Amino acid sequence: MLRDLVILKGTITTSLCVASGLFFISFLLRLRGDHELSQVDFASVFGKFYIILGILFTFSIFKEAHNQKTNHLYFSLPVSSYERITSAWLSTVPVFTVVLTIIAAIIGQFAILIASMFSETTFHLVSIFSEEYWGAVTFYTIVQPIFLYGALRFTKNRIGKTLLLVLLFSFGLMIYNFMFYGILNYSYDVFSGEELAYEAFDLASKDFSGIGQFVFIGIVTPLMLAAAYFKLVEKEV
Amino acid sequence: MIALHNIQFYYPKSKIVLDNISLQFAPGNIYGLFGKNGEGKSTLIKIMTGLLFPKAGDYQAFGNTISRQNIACLQDIFVVPEEFELPALKISVYEHITSAFYPNFSKDEFYSLIKEFNLSPHQKISTLSFGQKKKVLIAFGIATNTRLLLMDEPTNALDIPSKSQFRKIMASVVDQGKCIVISTHQVRDLHSLINHVVILDHSHVTFDQPLSKVSENLWFGKPSHAKPESIIYSESGFAGKAVLMRQGKNETEVDLELLFNAVLDQPQRVNYAIKTNYDQPQV
Repeated sequence: MLRDLVILKGTITTSLCVASGLFFISFLLRLRGDHELSQVDFASVFGKFYIILGILFTFSIFKEAHNQKTNHLYFSLPVSSYERITSAWLSTVPVFTVVLTIIAAIIGQFAILIASMFSETTFHLVSIFSEEYWGAVTFYTIVQPIFLYGALRFTKNRIGKTLLLVLLFSFGLMIYNFMFYGILNYSYDVFSGEELAYEAFDLASKDFSGIGQFVFIGIVTPLMLAAAYFKLVEKEV
Repeated sequence: MIALHNIQFYYPKSKIVLDNISLQFAPGNIYGLFGKNGEGKSTLIKIMTGLLFPKAGDYQAFGNTISRQNIACLQDIFVVPEEFELPALKISVYEHITSAFYPNFSKDEFYSLIKEFNLSPHQKISTLSFGQKKKVLIAFGIATNTRLLLMDEPTNALDIPSKSQFRKIMASVVDQGKCIVISTHQVRDLHSLINHVVILDHSHVTFDQPLSKVSENLWFGKPSHAKPESIIYSESGFAGKAVLMRQGKNETEVDLELLFNAVLDQPQRVNYAIKTNYDQPQV
């Protein structure tokens, strides 16, 4: 993990500087209205950049494995695929989450300080942990292995191809849910009126039942991590 | 001991690159792996490092089947690839983050080689020329003290003084526990360094002999009164050098380039001459 982080030092530093700037501007904009940076405000700003940066970081972590000039030395290092995947996951999920949260908190506090100096904002401590914050962290933890797999599976246009895969998967899941909804509720004449059919589509696209959540958290996430592991095992230069 | 048994390899939608390759590499030797461009030298090196998986056959290093999952085995193998890029770090930082993976790594040896190559540990790798980067990697590879050191075209990008410096360093690092395999098509660069020659041609091992046996059975030079039947291979032109069956003549220094050309032109005759011991002195 240390090796990966040292090699990506330049990229990480630049990205964090850009993120800090964006955090600062976004927090100041949030403070403009009610002169307060609430938990929801913090989570809303943090969540947006957190997921985007996390995905970009996930794709950069396996950059060495795809480059013809670096992959020989990368794969000949005496490190097992299990260790590589664990290191990549630790760097891109827990370490990344903690570091970005700390940076966002510092920048948020700095934004409050600046705003209190030049506006009616009263100085207050930034509040980090809210339901929205944990929601963003949970969502990222669930979807990140899909991007980790995509980062290994595709050699060119990795982000685009993975997003396309996710979109196709989501669309397929929506159609699947819609079909089930239609089959199970056929007797209720769900397709007789436009309104009900619209409702069916709406439900199929947004409803996440307990079983659905279990499928994603309990099956899809470990499955994608396992798929990424096996992809790494079978990868040649 | 490193042993390859009936290795077969081909790239997807491509002709066979290595066909039934069986080779053994023993510690204490520097092997020269020669072949024309595209004959599978680099592919063989990659298979020996676990970077490519053979389609058939098996490869064992130090009693273990080589696999990227076998960490103990990989700790004993280091490869210097032909084309590579090192991270944009200081030489000392690169050494610090990478040496931890090799239990027998010697920092003293690495920094003394860096000094010998006229480099400084504080230099940033991204500011170095490709030849200098190659020196960094060669120094690192030697300092890992792995039992198997593989080098793919190590003298490419090295200037003339650096090539002789490379030969000197390599000759000094080989010991009884180390096996070094150097793949190149620039046969002359390994002059006086290797002690075993392996030549690949048409996806097969065409020649696999120690140099001692070559010099014992073959004669290199400009023949003056040679019998036509004893000439295995000759080069026309001003130099007019030839490879002859030694047959009691004085021992000559092995001309690697001439041997390479002779093997490609007359593989059967060269191998026959090596295997047949001519004790009778020339009449």
